[in-house]
Formats: sequence, C-alpha cells, structure tokens
Amino acid sequence: MKRNAAIIATGQTKHQSKRNDANQAEMVFEAARRALEDAQLEMKDIDAVITDNMELFEGRALPDMWVAEGAGAYMKHQLKIATGGTSGSSAVIAGYYTAASGLFDLVMVVGFEKHSDGHTFAGMTLTNPFWDRPIASAAPGNFALSITEYMASRGVTQEQAAMVAVKARKNALNNPYAHLHIPDITVEKVLNSRMIAYPIHLLDMCPQSDGACAIIYASEKKAKEFCENPAWVKAAITRHDTPYLGDHIDRLATIRTIRECSRIIYKKLGITDPVKQFDVAEIYEPVSYAELAWYEAMGFCEEGEAGKLIEDGVTSMDGELPVNPSGGVLSTNPVGASGVIRAAEGALQIHGKAGKRQVPDVETVLVHGYGVYTWCDMMVLSSHL
Amino acid sequence: MSVNEKEKEKGKGKEEDEEELLRVSINMDLEYRWSGGSYFTKFYKAWKEERKILGSKCSSCGRVYLPPRLLCAKCYKKIDEWAEISDKGTVRAYTVVYQPFIDPRTGKPRPVPYGMALIQLDGADTTINYFLEENDLSKMRIGMRVQAVWRDEIEGNITDIKYFRIIEE
Repeated sequence: MKRNAAIIATGQTKHQSKRNDANQAEMVFEAARRALEDAQLEMKDIDAVITDNMELFEGRALPDMWVAEGAGAYMKHQLKIATGGTSGSSAVIAGYYTAASGLFDLVMVVGFEKHSDGHTFAGMTLTNPFWDRPIASAAPGNFALSITEYMASRGVTQEQAAMVAVKARKNALNNPYAHLHIPDITVEKVLNSRMIAYPIHLLDMCPQSDGACAIIYASEKKAKEFCENPAWVKAAITRHDTPYLGDHIDRLATIRTIRECSRIIYKKLGITDPVKQFDVAEIYEPVSYAELAWYEAMGFCEEGEAGKLIEDGVTSMDGELPVNPSGGVLSTNPVGASGVIRAAEGALQIHGKAGKRQVPDVETVLVHGYGVYTWCDMMVLSSHL
Repeated sequence: MSVNEKEKEKGKGKEEDEEELLRVSINMDLEYRWSGGSYFTKFYKAWKEERKILGSKCSSCGRVYLPPRLLCAKCYKKIDEWAEISDKGTVRAYTVVYQPFIDPRTGKPRPVPYGMALIQLDGADTTINYFLEENDLSKMRIGMRVQAVWRDEIEGNITDIKYFRIIEE
C-alpha cells in the first residue's frame, strides 16, 4: 500500500523573540494558512494533521488540543508527536508516513514554539531528581561539556566554531523569516560575546524564538496537481539512544544516532560522496560546535577535518554543499518548529521558491533533526520522483 | 493571577493606534512526588548505610551502568547484577559555567561561576555529571583524576557529594 509522497507547500511565521501580538494557536493558524496559500489549497482539502511542540517550555496542558483548530484539525485525524528537540523533524517524518501509507492524500504538519511564554532553560533542567537534577545546566551547560571533549579529540578551535556562527547569521540575512538578523556579524564579534559556559560564547548558541512552521504533503497522484516542483521524499529515518548525558562518552565525536542514520540512509540511496551528491543540507545545529561535529558524523569530511571544511568555505552559500542557507537553528529556534523549518527550507530549495537564499539547480537535499543527545532524524528530498 | 504590571508599563508611550496587548504572569508552586523505583532505592540504601556506590552490571555484555537501571538497552536484558564503583574517577569532559541557570530544586539562579565535569568513576562504563571544587579553567584538563568530597551528614541523595576535588596520584 506504500506509495510516494512529496512536500508540496510550506508556510512559516516571521520568527522573533517575542510575539506579543499572537498566542500559540494564532501563530499556528498563521503558518498553516500560509502553507495552504502556497499550494492554493483550502483547509477542507486536508485529510490529516500532525502537530508538535515542547509543552513543558510553555507550561500548558494539551497544547495539541488548543492549537488543533488553527492547524485545521477540526473533525479530522490529528496526532501529536514528541521526541524532544527532534519533535519537529519527527512530525515531518510522521507526516510522510501518513501520506505514504495510502490512507490519506493531503497531510498538514505544523510545529510551533512560543518560548517567550515560559521557561525554556528551567524546562531543560527538569531532569531525573534522583540523579542529575542538582547539576542540570540547560542546553549550553550540556553542550559545553561535550565540546571540551570534542575539541580535545579533534583539535577544532573557538575561531572555527565562530566561523560556523558567522556563516549562519550571514545566511539569515537572506531569509526574511529568520529571527536573528545581525548584519555586522564577524568572528571577532562572536569571540568577544559573553561566555555562557566555556567554550560557548553567547553568539555560538541558538536564540529562543517564537514561531510556527507548516508543510503540506501530497501523495503521488495529487502532488503534481498542486505543485510544479514537488519535493519528493526519497528516504526518512529516526534513531534513539540511551537517556543520561553521562551515558555518552565523547558524545559529539561519536554521536551514534547521527552516524547510524547517515550510514543507513546513504546505503539505501547509494550516497557515497555526500558533499557532491547533496545540493543543499538543512541541519539542526543548536550550537556552532555541533555543526562541525555533524559534518564528520554525516560524512561531509574525514574525522578531524571539520575545522578545515568551514575554513575552506565548502559549506557556505557559494561552496560545494551549502549548509543551512536559511541561517539554520543558530539564527532561528522555535524548538517545536525548528525541525519542520529544516524540511520546509529544504523543500523550498526544490520548489525554487527560496528567494534570496535560493541555491541554483537544487535536485537533492539532506534534512536533519537533532534532539538533546538521544534522537536523530534524517530525510532526503529530491526533485525527481 | 494578575496582569503583568511590567508589560503594562512597557505598553505606555507607544503609538496611539497600537493596541495594548494582554499578557499574564503566573507563578506555580506545585509539589511533585516522584518514585525512585527499586534500583535507585537499593542504590541510595547502600550509599547511606554502607557508603558504597553501586552500578548495575549487564550479565550479557558486562557493561556497568551508573546510575543503575533495570535493563541494558543494547542487550535488552533485565539487569540483576550489581558492581561496586569507586568514588575516584577520571574527568572525560569539563566546563566552567558563567550563566546563572535556574536551579530546578530552588527555582532560584545558581551562583556562578562553577566548574562541572563528566567523570568516569573507576569501575563504571558511563560518566557522572557533577560539580567540581575547582572553577579555574586553567587548572582543568581531560584525563585529570578527581575524588568525591562528601558532606558530614549522609542523607541518601546525590547532593551528599559536595563536589569532586582534583587529586594527584
């Protein structure tokens, strides 16, 4: 019964630090309506809806219930997906399964987060009270630990990480939906920004954003009807690891979930040289150093060569494999939406609708989601069925 | 529940046609009662009564888990074996935190700066994330040896360890 499915439309809000003018449901409504407009569809055409966010951050019960009508789920199939920071990319994969199952033709996926409503860092510290809660130091603290380990084993420098941060913020200037627009960003500016937890400077980290993002899938027979250049899903995969931060010695350098996803998905699609075979990658890099570690884990370079890859400009807009033309998570992070944004931005490149951030002649795109240290999602989109 | 006065303050002086937008601030004081389960119960009993740190050991692959847990995920085998772990170990990763994150036990910002590390205690295959006595980066390195400094009163929870101290061996 399985059949092909494609992303045929996208819609997102202008991401920013505080959306006083819209509540959670209103943001979801805004993103979903823009996706419908993109495909000239009406909500009555949509057969199924998938939603996601990190409900602990906003402290509201059943957010999936409150945002459902904005997502168009009234009297329809609606499911909520939750896998930590990968929730958005997992919702994207769930949406694909739904459309590819043969049970639903047009599927809406909407992810959102409204960090200004709540306590992201406090939410992140609500770990096991019998073990790591007294020391929990939110995402920057967790990352900082892994980064000293990664720097020691791979020899990457603070300057190379800052170059990742600069690349992301420069790309974001081409994206009208991106949260951070920092026109005068430089490596010096990153290195001179406040130290949060050694070696992470403020500008090495992603922001906390308010925002929502929607995509629409169509089954094979409907896709061409509503989209000139559908972004066909060639493969999707998700992998999970064990729960404690301390379970993963040398976590960034070994990152088992990403390595396993890459191995399986590349084998399936015959990807032997990802830098040549992908035209764009939209990856989930919550901190500059993570992008360097992901380059190695995704096979964009040899082990220990990630610093050189960013220095050589291979992943910049005019490089061989532009990574995150959107500006990435480093420029925009409404967590529940961030994984959906990766897929939306990847699809936009194939739709040919990426505006000033459009990479020419895009055929194959890698989309990636990352959740704490325990989840990885990957999807490959193609202009060819 | 009350309208956040600060937000109302911020709204003043804006363009007349800009509608004042509502925002409420709510503080919640809720008590949660988590059960530790049989593994943590046994772990902290040995910790308190015998001053022992116990890991759980997979009888199939031999991996020793700290904190102890009911199964080895890789082998998907229930764990029944226990292994004693030292309060000395090796630092695998470290940082000094300068941002005052909220301490989830108190709801208040934690004093900064503080050192923390992933420490592989002798006898364990996993690491523990905990405070270091030291907060001077220049004195930290991967591979350095540390030992737990215990409080005088042992209550039977993780904070019975004040922090880990760098040791020379």
